[in-house]
Amino acid sequence: MSEAKLDGPEAKRAASTQTTSGETDEHIEAAWTNYGTDQETKLAVEDLDVYYGDEQALRGISMDIPAESVTALIGPSGCGKSTFLRSLNRMNDRISSARVEGSVTLDGEEIYQEGINLVELRKRVGMVFQHPNPFPKSIRDNVAYGPRKHGDIERGLLARLLGRDEKAAEDELVERSLKQAALWNEVKDRLDDNALGLSGGQQQRLCIGRCLAVDPDVILMDEPASALDPIATAKIEDLIEELAEEYTVVIVTHNMQQAARISDQTAVFLTGGELVEYDETEKIFENPESQRVEDYVTGKFG
Amino acid sequence: MSNVDRTALVAGKRTVASSLGSGLIAVAFVAFVSSWATIFQWLDETGAYLGFALFDLLGGLLVVFAVGLAVAGLASRYGYVTTTPSDTAGVPVAAVFGLIWAAVGGLAGAAYVGGPAWIVGAALGGLAGAGTAVLPREDVGSTLPAAALIGLMGYVVLFGQINTGWTWEPGWLSAAFPGSEVVPVLVILASLLAFWSGAKAKEGFGAQGRQAGVFYLIGMSILSMLGVLGLLILFITWNGLDVMLTGASLLGGELVVPFVGLGVPFPELPFVTNVTGGLFVEVPGVFPAIMGTLWLVLGAVALAVPLGVGAAIFLSEYAEQGRITQVVEVATNGLWSTPSIVFGLFGMTFLVPRLSGGNSIVVGQLVLGFMLLPLVLITSREAILAVPDEYRDASAALGVSRWETIKSVVVPAAMPGVITGVIIGVGRIAGETAPLLLVFGGQPFPSSTPNVLSSFTFSLSPPFVTNEALLQPASALPYQLYSSITAGVFPKEIFSDTEFGWGTALVLLLVVIGLYAIGIASRLYFRRKLDYE
Repeated sequence: MSEAKLDGPEAKRAASTQTTSGETDEHIEAAWTNYGTDQETKLAVEDLDVYYGDEQALRGISMDIPAESVTALIGPSGCGKSTFLRSLNRMNDRISSARVEGSVTLDGEEIYQEGINLVELRKRVGMVFQHPNPFPKSIRDNVAYGPRKHGDIERGLLARLLGRDEKAAEDELVERSLKQAALWNEVKDRLDDNALGLSGGQQQRLCIGRCLAVDPDVILMDEPASALDPIATAKIEDLIEELAEEYTVVIVTHNMQQAARISDQTAVFLTGGELVEYDETEKIFENPESQRVEDYVTGKFG
Repeated sequence: MSNVDRTALVAGKRTVASSLGSGLIAVAFVAFVSSWATIFQWLDETGAYLGFALFDLLGGLLVVFAVGLAVAGLASRYGYVTTTPSDTAGVPVAAVFGLIWAAVGGLAGAAYVGGPAWIVGAALGGLAGAGTAVLPREDVGSTLPAAALIGLMGYVVLFGQINTGWTWEPGWLSAAFPGSEVVPVLVILASLLAFWSGAKAKEGFGAQGRQAGVFYLIGMSILSMLGVLGLLILFITWNGLDVMLTGASLLGGELVVPFVGLGVPFPELPFVTNVTGGLFVEVPGVFPAIMGTLWLVLGAVALAVPLGVGAAIFLSEYAEQGRITQVVEVATNGLWSTPSIVFGLFGMTFLVPRLSGGNSIVVGQLVLGFMLLPLVLITSREAILAVPDEYRDASAALGVSRWETIKSVVVPAAMPGVITGVIIGVGRIAGETAPLLLVFGGQPFPSSTPNVLSSFTFSLSPPFVTNEALLQPASALPYQLYSSITAGVFPKEIFSDTEFGWGTALVLLLVVIGLYAIGIASRLYFRRKLDYE
């Protein structure tokens, strides 16, 4: 290979070949710099470190997540993308050994500050888990669970005695949430059946509906389709694309085709808890800056 | 050629071996069932059936079986029937036969030679049993030692060494075992062994045979267990039913409808509705004891369930898992295994002087509540820990607080487990006697029933609520049973003390079953709410 040819992609490849052998450090700008659209930033992450005990799971992550779009987080197992997702609504607080340093702001407000209202934070930043986890209650109770517990809807014997029963409002909310979750037509005749009788895909859409019922701004999804068959997966993907018109969706996925299909921008985490590259999805999959990312998305590694 | 044995792919075809095996199992089954029938006294051990004395028949069955089994084993060994035996019956089988035959050899040595000869006999018997089991091929190894043993037992029974007139009085035990009880037990043991080896022969030995042998053995053990259970319940019912139904009639009683004052015919059951003592009681009954037991259970549950479930919630949901929760766990397990009389002693020396100054219902309730507490705590904790973390995650992600999550997701999901614990505990405390002797029991033959509900009085000055009835001693069913037996003489001539005891036992059994029914029904209710079916 002659000197003259060392420019463009070729040059990059040469540079990062050295990197994988560990001789040179590769420095790819992963911050939110070259993103072309003018959407406002919903979540801004600044220099985020997460530790589990002595082990560091995330190293200095900085990225801005734009509103009303789908942001995909991809990377091999154990690279910290789920940890990152759980630090966006402070679900990591539930793990006693977890420690978070750095800053995450939601609409400009720091969520890792004293006196943060976790109830309000998690109402605004909802979450859908890898395995469908509806409560062992009726479909209606599942959807209405959040609003009832937050006192947004009053139900029950006492409310009925006081004449404040909001059955109509609840019916409306359940219908709206299930319609948004593309589940209404399948379950409208059996809202009082136990949710565990639904199929896996239906359960996952119910979980999305349950999350939508508390009216979040952001929906975090942790591999929401990994436990589902292709048809159920396709439905969830369609749903995510629809949701992105109103909500900010952040999704962790192992399935790179899925990330390519549904996301607007993609962040690639690689081993060691580092964010290696973050850009428009097209760019990540067609012309990534980093050789490691290219190896990963083309299946040469991971 | 591979050295892997092939058997017929279709198992439905009847072979000589399987027919012989089926016949053997049928013989063993007849011996097994008729022995149980003898124990239940449905068959008369001195009677004659089909022209033979019962025990001669049983012994004969065993001998027939033994011959058949030996034939099956040898026929398989010398290739007259198609089977798939392994090379050996295996070391565990040899160990069992070695032990059994060592015992037989030891007994024979002691009986026929005497002195230290039993050691030699045991050694020879053990070696012979183990050797015959392990050295030859499986078809011989698992039939011949069994056939010899079963044949020996049959011979001993058939030729009268152990029979109706015989009694075993071991010198080291102040008990006598009459032949009428020893023979059925011997035959049952022999037929368990017979099922195992017969089933092996039926399936042609090998892996199939071992599977069938174990299957039949377990099945018969379960039948035997049910037999023991049935024997107990039947015995109580048998002895207690007449007493309980004394003076009973279907429509002889009269129920006065409240407010209307009209009498309607109603079933009459004086043993259940009458008081025990008193001058004008024709049929003494156990009503005071029934009410006493119900009040005790109610009080204990009211004390133990909220405390136990609360502690379980704290330990599994709030407390960091670590040293302290471990200490609490060990302490609760220890409390649960503490003998109940110790709880009684605590109640007698600590609670009685402070609360009532004498035996009383309320101290009985507290003591039984303390006994129930550890079990409720242990089972509730298990049930709460078994609730999937996914539910807690889902709830937390919706912004719902921890206490709300526990209240509306965790506890409902754990409810069936909690109730199971309460059911087991209630069964135990309803039958508890020892602590009640120390803190609760009053007159052995009460002539009045504690009137707890109407004894509540309220006042504006401390102690605000008082209940005289709770501070009085009373009777409970197990306590009533104990006191009528130990009193020795029953005050009325209509029953003897043991007859009254059996009647009380039957009522206690029914009350406990009734409490179980309530518990199981509520568990079903909660489980159905969780399941989608």
